[in-house]
Amino acid sequence: MPPKATLFLGVFVGALCAAEPINYSRQIRPILSENCIACHGPDEKGRKGKLRLDDEQDAKRDRKGDFVILPGKPEQSELIKRLESKDPEEVMPPPKQHKTIPAAQVALLKEWIKQGAPWGRHWSYEPVVRPSVPQNGETNPVDAFLAERQKKEGLTWSAEAPQAILIRRIALDITGLPPTPEETAKLAAAQHEDIVAYFLAKPAYGEHWARQWLDLARYADSAGYPSDPGRIIWAYRDWVIKALNKNEPFDQFVIDQMAGDLLPAPTEDQIIATAFHRNTMTQNEGGTSDEEFRVAAVIDRVNTTYAVFMGTTMACAQCHTHKYDPITNAEYFQSFAFLNQSADSDKKDEVPLYEIYPPGVKAQREQWMKDSAAAEATFKKPEPAWTAGFDEWLAKGPKLTDKPLKAALDAPKDKRTKAQTKLLSDYYVRNVSPAAKAERVRADDLKKKIAAAAPVTVPVMQDLPAAQRRKTFIQLRGNWQALGDEVTEGVPTHLARWDDSFPKNRLGLARWIVSRDNPLTARVTMNRLWETVFGVGIVRTSEEFGSQGDLPLHPELLDWLADEFVASGWDTKKMLSLLLNSRAYRQSSASNAKLNEVDPDNRFVARGPRFRPSGELLRDQALAVSGLLSAKMYGAPVRPMRPNLGLSIAFGGTGDWMTSSGEDRHRRSVYTETRRSTPYPSFVTFDAPNRETCVIRRGRSNTPLQAFVTLNDPVFVETSQALARRLLKEGGATDDSRLRLAYALCLSREPDANELRTLKTLLSKSVAQYRADNALALQMATEPLGPTDKGADVPTLAAWTAVSSVIMNLDEFLMRR
Amino acid sequence: MLHPLREAQLSLQTRRTFLSSVGQFSLGAIALHAMQADAFGASSASDNPLAPRKPHFKAKAKRVIYLHMSGGPPNLDIFDHKPELVKRNAQDCPDSFLKGRTFAFTSGVPKLMGSPRTFKQYGQGGLWMSDAVPNFQKIADDVTLVKAMHTDQFNHAPAELLLFTGHARQGRPSMGSWATYGLGTENQDLPGFVTMISNGVQPSGGQGCWGSGFIPSVFQGVQCRSKGDPVLFANDPPGMTRDLRRATLDALKDLNQRQQDELGHAETVTRIAQYELAFRMQTSVPEVMDISKEKPATLEAYGAKPGESSFANNCLLARRLVEKGVRFVHLFDWGWDFHGTNPKEDIRGGLTAKMAATDKPVAALINDLKERGLLEDTLIVWGGEFGRTPFREGRTAKGDVLGRDHYPDCFTIMMAGGGVKGGFQFGETDEMGFAGVKDKVHVHDLQATILHLLGFDHERLTYRFQGRDYRLTDVHGHVVRDIIA
Repeated sequence: MPPKATLFLGVFVGALCAAEPINYSRQIRPILSENCIACHGPDEKGRKGKLRLDDEQDAKRDRKGDFVILPGKPEQSELIKRLESKDPEEVMPPPKQHKTIPAAQVALLKEWIKQGAPWGRHWSYEPVVRPSVPQNGETNPVDAFLAERQKKEGLTWSAEAPQAILIRRIALDITGLPPTPEETAKLAAAQHEDIVAYFLAKPAYGEHWARQWLDLARYADSAGYPSDPGRIIWAYRDWVIKALNKNEPFDQFVIDQMAGDLLPAPTEDQIIATAFHRNTMTQNEGGTSDEEFRVAAVIDRVNTTYAVFMGTTMACAQCHTHKYDPITNAEYFQSFAFLNQSADSDKKDEVPLYEIYPPGVKAQREQWMKDSAAAEATFKKPEPAWTAGFDEWLAKGPKLTDKPLKAALDAPKDKRTKAQTKLLSDYYVRNVSPAAKAERVRADDLKKKIAAAAPVTVPVMQDLPAAQRRKTFIQLRGNWQALGDEVTEGVPTHLARWDDSFPKNRLGLARWIVSRDNPLTARVTMNRLWETVFGVGIVRTSEEFGSQGDLPLHPELLDWLADEFVASGWDTKKMLSLLLNSRAYRQSSASNAKLNEVDPDNRFVARGPRFRPSGELLRDQALAVSGLLSAKMYGAPVRPMRPNLGLSIAFGGTGDWMTSSGEDRHRRSVYTETRRSTPYPSFVTFDAPNRETCVIRRGRSNTPLQAFVTLNDPVFVETSQALARRLLKEGGATDDSRLRLAYALCLSREPDANELRTLKTLLSKSVAQYRADNALALQMATEPLGPTDKGADVPTLAAWTAVSSVIMNLDEFLMRR
Repeated sequence: MLHPLREAQLSLQTRRTFLSSVGQFSLGAIALHAMQADAFGASSASDNPLAPRKPHFKAKAKRVIYLHMSGGPPNLDIFDHKPELVKRNAQDCPDSFLKGRTFAFTSGVPKLMGSPRTFKQYGQGGLWMSDAVPNFQKIADDVTLVKAMHTDQFNHAPAELLLFTGHARQGRPSMGSWATYGLGTENQDLPGFVTMISNGVQPSGGQGCWGSGFIPSVFQGVQCRSKGDPVLFANDPPGMTRDLRRATLDALKDLNQRQQDELGHAETVTRIAQYELAFRMQTSVPEVMDISKEKPATLEAYGAKPGESSFANNCLLARRLVEKGVRFVHLFDWGWDFHGTNPKEDIRGGLTAKMAATDKPVAALINDLKERGLLEDTLIVWGGEFGRTPFREGRTAKGDVLGRDHYPDCFTIMMAGGGVKGGFQFGETDEMGFAGVKDKVHVHDLQATILHLLGFDHERLTYRFQGRDYRLTDVHGHVVRDIIA
């Protein structure tokens, strides 16, 4: 069977060769899982014929002289008989399921039974065992494994890509920004390793890689559900950027986010990190039950925890025991129990909140608050001198708007109550009395200072005190009101052993996730890293490592990476460097007819990776080459230009926003305000999720609507205009020199003669058109960027804007090659 | 069902691999034949995920116009006539209906509320309709009323998501996405799945109502607007002429072609094609969205006014879009949440006013399609995400405005064309409208039926994601054969 077909099936049927022992995990289990396990698997309620094909004992047991699987005897095994039966009542899978198992797979099952039907577990639940690195002359173990596989497939390495292309590839992969022409020149003769190290040291690395993590963390600046009000939680986003730049070891990165607050003497950063699980949605719609949506948030936390760290779909087990993987309904709620003790409860104010102050400010502000309270108290017990002039003031009939005050003032003097008089006199002292002026100024000043030093808040995880701990019950069929048996904290131990030294709380859960015994975390994380760098994961379904996911294409390589990752001390930057320094990565991305035929997705990596990056990166890149990009890091989210759609959010405010001013219009995309109900339109067009729930893998579509964005979205029109101005200012005096600069900025290479010719033809046509119509030229050159420099040649600028837009829409610009 | 794009995604494989692999998956023989003939026929459009495709079996409907009234129209004041409820008006709601239940805005014991509206039977089928819908009355012979609809959700967002994606939370592909995923579309110069919104507020379920979830985003609904850019960013920037746009795209094509020659990537070919499609859409979309050249009589029939943003305009646009080959048009109209918190939400005057802007264009749309011979293979669905309670809403019970709370157990959906019977009512609720008693239809059944009318077995139109074959009907759904002509 040709490799593409095995790839396609996601099942390693392999050649039928009696001499080669059949591997249960890789060859047999996928067939059973695809076709049989839903009815003959772990789910007790859905189980048919009292048969489990996922359980060796049950599948092989004696059924009154009959055997479903009789090792060594395929012809006496009911499994084979049923698969080959022509009787619609007998045949498996039942006809109404519209599944048939191909003859080649049945033959494989027969051969496996003949070999004694050796059992095993699903591959990803087996412990990671460090495989030995093939000795084939490759120095980087990544290449050694790949070369072995390529040899089997009759493939071989492509040539190395030109240095300038590699510099751009590395810069985009590490920082999400293109290299400047200065950087490309400076690094032209540098060693590959040094280029990687150079870009890894830039803070832009954290900003770029945070975007991916924020998809996993379902980070947004709004609370979700219909009304979708704003939420202040950006300190978490900044924490992610900083943690990545610090290269916090991945195990610590997990522990901080899952349970930083439960660590002994947690740092401020560790508390902020727990906002990871406060990125769940909060329901503010009237008439809804806080408890229902608190439960929904906890369920989201369970599902997110397992999906992000362990590539495991827990959602199935919320309603019933998992049909394919060994996770029971009870185990689901045992995991739920870990996350069911946090104090948050779907409240509008998002409590509990943590307050963040710049260093020293907190104590100072507390002092001011004390002083302020004291000052206000003195106004209530004024010095006698302060009341001087009160009666005269009253007699003048001052204008008061406050209702009680006005009522007091309007009351005839003899009918005025004591309290009313006191109210008026207090007001006089606090706002009018000349004698109290100095004290008043001081008190007002304190108030201003207090307001100015207000903390930034962030919702955090905080466990309830012991007396208020919640009980956890199994929720029947996933209904939060239909409760079954009580359960306590626990994990699906089939996935990994629970060490009794772990505390039975979120911290223990976090330690379990990153424990040496957990076979999934390191594999899932390394697979994601691979996917990010090479375009497709070693396991294509990076979101699903369970038995319904794809099998790894290079299982040994994945295990080696997982083991190396843990051995390195969970050093993410080190592992990234390892991939980026590989021969595999350095290849030219040019393809050819043979590769397109045999390996169109480049999973054997016989050429360099090439794919379309995220919409966020495309916007950042356009801002960078045009010179508009702001270097400002961190802080409250910003609102770049976005079309007003004139639509409101159901039960909420407007879906539109006021564009930020100044450099905030041009910050990196990671700082763009993320609204769940109205995600930033151009990012969505390029497959960005709305961050309502965690998304492990984005699609990579290629649609005409994307062309509209990069051609017509004012954000991209503005960058074309800015690039045009830059080319005229910095690009020398000739069209050729300007086009050279454009290519250096956008593509990190020289244009060839043909490219120059095509673009100059367009340029002269455009110049002619804009010379003939000045008003049109003015629009093209200035809307929305704004007025040109005095004395600028507007038609020329307009024409260069059109040319710049073409360069910024080149396939080569939109792809990371 | 194995989708060509899904194949392409799995491993941009060649035609030969595709055919051999289809054999290994167990597609029904007919469907397999249809797919081969269509996806790899003379058009050789196999790499275009939106190329028209044949369904599992012969379809009654080729396209759908779904008219969604966001908020939940009061079924008891429009279609579901309950004399017994009128008789027991203002009595305490019997405990048996309240036990163990939660309502969105009602607690304690509410008062029953008979409809203040006048009901009569219309058309050959004797369809019950109230005075709120004078124009629906006139098309009674063209429609089926499904009167014992029910859902699992009593809040807007989850109920809308359940109705349109088969699941109450975000993340699944919408009905229109499934339809275009299965069928492609007939006009490559227009989006295959279009949504439009009237009355200024998007539905509670948000963009998820027309999102593509985990299936490729080419299948998501493209939001079109009758004011401003008809499609986001479709208009050239100020200062760009059509002539120059063509010149820039020619230059771009030329340069991209060279990139393709150098690197040999199929995706570059696709990109070139998508820019060309974008260029064509820049003409075709504004053209189809411009209703100013419609006959005055047509505009009058719908109550449409060029340049406005209204439900009437959207109904007319829906006809123009399906006429041009768009597969699925989904309209969302805001303002159907008749709680009684203000006069607009009153089931008397408020409903009359809301319906005046609704039933006329809907009737006009059905008549218009009929006249053009399009009704027989265009399915029209009109309805909300749930019904409303037979009792007065608790919060507003002391005021002058009559409102009802959300109610998931009973509501009515109106369907027309596309192989559905005319002059027919299906299903019954009990004498006070608390529960379906005969021929109940769950929202998953409605989905199964819509897919069936489009030629699909809803259990076989699937997409593999995170290790599971997902479908619109989740793990439920039965085709309602009785309403099919």
